Amino acid sequence: MKPFGAALLSPREPLPETFAEAAPARNRVRILAVAVFAVLLLLAGRAVQLAFSGDPLAEPRRSTTIASTPRADVVDRNGVLLATTVRAYALTAAPARVWNAAETADALRRLFPDLDRAATVRRLSDATRQLVFLRRGLSEDERAQVHALGLAGIGFEPEDRRIYPHGAMAAHVLGFTDVDLNPLAGVERGLDAQIRAAGEAGRPVRLSLDVRLQYALESELDAAARAAGASGAAGVLLDGRTGEALALASWPRFDPNEPGSAGADARRDRVAGDVHELGSTIKPFTVAMALQEEATSAGELFDLSQPFSIDGSLIEDHETVRGLASLRDILAQSSNIGAARLALRLGGARQRAYLERLGLTQASRLELGFNQAPLAPHARSRRDVAGLGFGYGLAATPAALAGAYTVFANEGRLVAPTLIARAPDAEIERRQVFSPQVTRQVLAYLRAAVINGTGRAADVPGLAVAGKTGTAEKLDEESYDESRNFSSFAGVFPAHDPRYVIVIALDDTGEGAAGGMVAAPVVARTLRRIAPMLGLRVEPAAAAR
Amino acid sequence: MDKALLRRGLYAIAALIVVALAVGLYKAKTDAARAEARVRDLQRQIEHSEADLRALRAEIAALESPARIEALAQDRLGVAAGGESAVLPESALQQRLPPPQRQERSQ
Repeated sequence: MKPFGAALLSPREPLPETFAEAAPARNRVRILAVAVFAVLLLLAGRAVQLAFSGDPLAEPRRSTTIASTPRADVVDRNGVLLATTVRAYALTAAPARVWNAAETADALRRLFPDLDRAATVRRLSDATRQLVFLRRGLSEDERAQVHALGLAGIGFEPEDRRIYPHGAMAAHVLGFTDVDLNPLAGVERGLDAQIRAAGEAGRPVRLSLDVRLQYALESELDAAARAAGASGAAGVLLDGRTGEALALASWPRFDPNEPGSAGADARRDRVAGDVHELGSTIKPFTVAMALQEEATSAGELFDLSQPFSIDGSLIEDHETVRGLASLRDILAQSSNIGAARLALRLGGARQRAYLERLGLTQASRLELGFNQAPLAPHARSRRDVAGLGFGYGLAATPAALAGAYTVFANEGRLVAPTLIARAPDAEIERRQVFSPQVTRQVLAYLRAAVINGTGRAADVPGLAVAGKTGTAEKLDEESYDESRNFSSFAGVFPAHDPRYVIVIALDDTGEGAAGGMVAAPVVARTLRRIAPMLGLRVEPAAAAR
Repeated sequence: MDKALLRRGLYAIAALIVVALAVGLYKAKTDAARAEARVRDLQRQIEHSEADLRALRAEIAALESPARIEALAQDRLGVAAGGESAVLPESALQQRLPPPQRQERSQ
């Protein structure tokens, strides 16, 4: 049997006349067929590849971080949640679909009494708009309650909401955002870029705060401020070696979950946003400056019994220091006369240089939305220099004061306070201000001020506290008002190996409410509570005396 | 083999491949769409779970807040923070906190 194809091309058959023309056409068909076949093979190969390996183009989509949020969680140094972003809903309405605007508004107001009726009715009746927003940040429960009302035209838009689980605790540090998560205050604003970047990466931002210490400091400050009738108060607890802020308390407090319900006064950060003439808490630096510059020596004795006049201003002590007094007595008895004399020996230029190196003439660099710059004019007269010696003529924040006291925890070196938790092996920038010998000398005087000086109420048996009280009369228009004080205590502990810095300040305390009477006891009460948390031992109160 | 037969065979194979590819493509597209929908669904579920998780973590943080714990300690145990009552001798623990009782399993 002949093949079918061969029969067709049998030589008996005459060759087509167009054979010569048909040959190239057939070739083209063949080439085309081969090309189609090749394409099909390619497609088949690709299909097999996809079947076995998946779509490589889909890889980037799959690697998208699922846990990313617009703003990262903020946690304390132990990982306790301080701020987070949760799912919320915006209450919306499509006016065209609302049956009865007044009835709908009344129904909504039963759930949200603060909803303005007239404004709500107006919005619900606004036929020119397709969608109106009635309320933001509804929780899951609130959404369910509104849903249960079955109101026509009422709907919900999912959104994010920033919440602060601890309410008012650390409110001034954390700050808050608006409904669109734009940062307005605190670390929310100061660390905005980091919080957004961490949110993208799905990791939290870790602060140096410790909620246990924060709570103890806040509750003691709250009780003291109420008892003293203060208009405001601030508390700072630093790890003086690293500069990490372990607790920053500002009073009065507010709830950052509802910042609008608090007044501007409550929202004001008293730690880094408020400046005051610091008073006698500056004196240890005056003594240290004088020792460092060899303007005095540890053995020098002073007659401080007589007030002295300078440029028409009388400098006197609250209680006369009788007999010959040492540098130790100047600090323990908080002598203005002694501090003024030392300051005058130093002179304005050297005094200014030290104040600058102590960070008291610049705004703190805490990672907050706002750090108030100090009022630190250059001393123009001997009276100014003398006043600066005992804490007048320089208004700084409690945060700046705490930062300056870190010199006593670092053998004379200054560490800038921070709100970011440092890694154990982090390199810390320290700036030498005083020599270790001078620092140790002044530290001994500060301990004396607590043992038998003006700061006795700050003493905690078993925990050697060293510090200095401060009582600055407040400037009222043009003169100082004796009946209004800024009362404070600044110190370090434990004195034999200082590590922690504490500052307590009460604003606008009444006449006679000296730092030793109203601020020092807060230090003692706070330290009693927090010492075990810091791994420090204190003697039980019952066995104290 | 006859060239024409070979050609037809090739055509038939090509046609089969085309049909197989068409069916395969349809199935692949259907599977891909289904997988895509499944991925989206899972993504939504994960986002919901993440949101729930964040809300729950916030609730835990609020429940573990020192202020709340202190209030509970004061109300239920009579222990005031920083007060003498916070320091109990070991013997007093027995009186304050009775040992856990065996729970009878309810039928």
